[in-house]
Amino acid sequence: MSKTFKTIWYYEWVTFSRNKTQVFLLGTVFLFGVYAIFCGKANMDEQREIIMQLTAKENAEFDGYQASFQEELVSMEAKQLRDVASKPNFAWFRPGYHVTSSPTDFANLAIGQRDLYRYYYRLTGMSLYYQLYQNEIANPFYLLVGNLDLSFILIYIFPLLVIVFCYSMYSGEKDAGILPLLRAQSASIRKILLVRLTFYFLLITGLVLLLSFLGFLVSGILLEGSNGYAALAWYMMVLVYCAFWFGLLFFIIAFRQSTSFNAISAIGAWVLLLIIIPAILNTIVEHNYPLNSNELASLTRRTGLEDETDAEESKEVISEFLKYRPEYAKDSSLYTQNLMSKAYAAFTFLKDKDSKKLVDEYNKAVMERSQWTSDFSWANPAVTAQQTLSRIAHTDLANYMAFQTEIARFHQDVQDFYFQPLYTDSEITQEDYSARPSFEPYNGEPDWDSMYMDTLIVALLGCIFFFQGLLILKRTK
Amino acid sequence: MLKSISKIIKKELRSAIRKRLILALGTIILILLGVSLWSSFQNFQEQQAAITKEQERKRKEWLSQGDKHPHMAAHYGTYIFKPKSVLGIFDSGLDAYTGTSIYLEAHYQHGFMFRPAQDRGTMIRFGELTMAMALQVLMPLLIIILAFKSITQERENGTLRLMAAQGVSIKTIVWGKVLAYSILILVLLLPILLIIAGGIAVLNPSGLLTFSPWRLVFLIIIYAIYLLLFIAFSIYISLYSKTSRNALLKLLVCWILLTVLIPKTVANFGRAAYKLPSMHAFKENIKTDKDTGLDGRTPRSVRMEQLTAEYLEKYKVDSVQQLPFNFDGVSMQAGEEYGNKVYDVQWQRLNSIFEEQNALFAYASFIDPFIAVQRLSMAFSGTDMFTAVHFENEVEQYRRMLVKTMNDDMAKNSRYGEFYEYTADASLWETIKEFNYTLPTRSKVLYAYRWELFGLVAWLFLTIVLLSMATSKKRWNL
Repeated sequence: MSKTFKTIWYYEWVTFSRNKTQVFLLGTVFLFGVYAIFCGKANMDEQREIIMQLTAKENAEFDGYQASFQEELVSMEAKQLRDVASKPNFAWFRPGYHVTSSPTDFANLAIGQRDLYRYYYRLTGMSLYYQLYQNEIANPFYLLVGNLDLSFILIYIFPLLVIVFCYSMYSGEKDAGILPLLRAQSASIRKILLVRLTFYFLLITGLVLLLSFLGFLVSGILLEGSNGYAALAWYMMVLVYCAFWFGLLFFIIAFRQSTSFNAISAIGAWVLLLIIIPAILNTIVEHNYPLNSNELASLTRRTGLEDETDAEESKEVISEFLKYRPEYAKDSSLYTQNLMSKAYAAFTFLKDKDSKKLVDEYNKAVMERSQWTSDFSWANPAVTAQQTLSRIAHTDLANYMAFQTEIARFHQDVQDFYFQPLYTDSEITQEDYSARPSFEPYNGEPDWDSMYMDTLIVALLGCIFFFQGLLILKRTK
Repeated sequence: MLKSISKIIKKELRSAIRKRLILALGTIILILLGVSLWSSFQNFQEQQAAITKEQERKRKEWLSQGDKHPHMAAHYGTYIFKPKSVLGIFDSGLDAYTGTSIYLEAHYQHGFMFRPAQDRGTMIRFGELTMAMALQVLMPLLIIILAFKSITQERENGTLRLMAAQGVSIKTIVWGKVLAYSILILVLLLPILLIIAGGIAVLNPSGLLTFSPWRLVFLIIIYAIYLLLFIAFSIYISLYSKTSRNALLKLLVCWILLTVLIPKTVANFGRAAYKLPSMHAFKENIKTDKDTGLDGRTPRSVRMEQLTAEYLEKYKVDSVQQLPFNFDGVSMQAGEEYGNKVYDVQWQRLNSIFEEQNALFAYASFIDPFIAVQRLSMAFSGTDMFTAVHFENEVEQYRRMLVKTMNDDMAKNSRYGEFYEYTADASLWETIKEFNYTLPTRSKVLYAYRWELFGLVAWLFLTIVLLSMATSKKRWNL
């Protein structure tokens, strides 16, 4: 490192540390970041707590069923419980299986859409779509205001720090009248500018990385070896995002306009990238891809056969169902025992088959819309960065959609578990329950390719601004 | 003094128009307002059409559901879709975060389904472009950029000294500038105001169920106060700052604090201080209360015995079969009413948490005028939480009426113990009138948002006092 470097950095540090406002700002943002880490963690811990309660409840429910096989059945309740456990005509719609999507460790730092999405469902063998669409309790106004987590501090607040520290970098000297002095130095103005910029870059990205590290520490991310890769991806993204803002600031400074002009342009860029562009895209996407959930509403309706006591109608429905499940056709007592339950179960099965088309179509439209938004990542670095952090934390839309698919698959398992005894007229035994379907808490699959791509895009945008700034400086020499 | 004020106004307007930056920013905001007006209007029309279509379809399904037992019909139920508020074009408020439809059936109160924001990626959390957003967030920024050097520049250029020498009081200068910028902002917003006025005249939305003129009047008032606040505040800061650069920095920090940081922090406090139950716990509580009774001691079986005994006593008969009506219908309705009672208790409990959470924001209006205006704006636009809860309650009343009609018919017309033997037909379905929603009345809205209103007025008062004090102290600071 050359001596000029050291001298400039040293004096920059002296000026910086003597400016109480700047030190105060830096400290405040840092403390706010630490606060945000704990806020995010508290928020996600609530979800973890609820998931734990649900798991405990499910286990207790099934322990009850297991126990009912052993007990001497004396009381009315014990008999009822045994019936629910063993008789498929009750069991197919009574015991509840919980499917949950646990927050990852990273979710503490980037809550994303998790406060909005449902993260647990209680499923029975009944119609799937009847059980899916109830909203989780939330205060809509709080949803609108949004969450305080580390990703918010990194995406919204740190660019402001960059602006505050750098906006007067050239113009300030001009205002103070020390520009001629600088010109008289052996180092070029451009070099001095770049070295000073690097000073703040190191200071701010250092703080960003430190905050992220603290976040990882608090969330226990570093304890899990498998998190290492994701932690690296997080570091890359926040680093690149910071670099982007420095590139942009350098570009603005390069015009060598007045201090006010720099400040207004920089804050204008912030407003444009964090408020206006996302808002416009949100409005356009709503217009280009209108989604109408009203049609899905009908799927939640509780419907049944026209007349449950009509044996003919029941047989018709069951034989339609057998087209999809021919393995149950063999049983000789198929149309004699439990006809009503069999018909109703078959009815819901068929209804789900029918509903699935509508749901798939809807989900496809949701994904198309999301794809359209992703196509604008090059114009939208703030959203792209936030999106990547959510992806790392598995708190984004794609993850939620994947969870929905998992739910549908698991529901199939639950149905199969009960349909087998129901349509073959056998009782469910205690052994059967030891092999009951269980849902592995879903955490989602990471989409590494998109994350690399997005990190690259933000990095490129930063580079473009930076080199454009260099060019302008050269031209106006 | 009036003469000097008018001179100052003229000078300010002239120099503002000469500045390209101000013109450019003004144009950008104007374009954004226009775009949001146009797109929100389109969305409104599309969604309104979709809702009307779907609501009509559901009505038809209800009427043509065929002959069936009334209780089956009560389970078959129907759907209510939340109608769009016309003023939602101006401020979409919580529309993306409250649900869009509710399923009505016997025994169960279903909450809202489908929050539109669920179908969106994280980008939706960056906010939507509405005219309200442009006025709440972007206009103050424009005002700051317009006014940060209103006094400091005069001081830096030495013109303040000249004016002082000419005997112009600082009061005149300050109020002249406040007026000048107010006129400028008004002129800027004039095209949009004209378009809205024109739109109202042409579309005649008074026919639409959600439009009442007082809402528009209040919207205009609160935004006028809000923007005036920012104008006065910017000039005040400029008056007290040594340099333009300082003034700008202070104002921008305030702007970020008011529009971004304080709301987030308040929300976080509210969330931690008043914890909401999970949907699971909420439903579980309802179920427990129904099973064991609200007092925890009278389970369903006991309640049924009591009801049976009561009826046998009243009609002086030995068995329910001898009653002149179907006791199943009576017991069904009694169960329904007990369920309603339980629901009311639990819903009240939940709603009081919502109210506490929202009250925190209401009080925060005294620290942050942005919060006051944001909440008032959606309240007057009918896209706020108070309206959403009001709507949910109305729907619940309608559901109760529907279920009761079905149960009463069953008690009256069918025999005890028989279910599939009795069917009702379309004449019964037709007795259920269509659901019609009207927004809460003016007095209700004003009362619900009284703290926000006080907060905004307090801010206005404070700013005027501050400006008067500052000017009376003759802060020339030459």
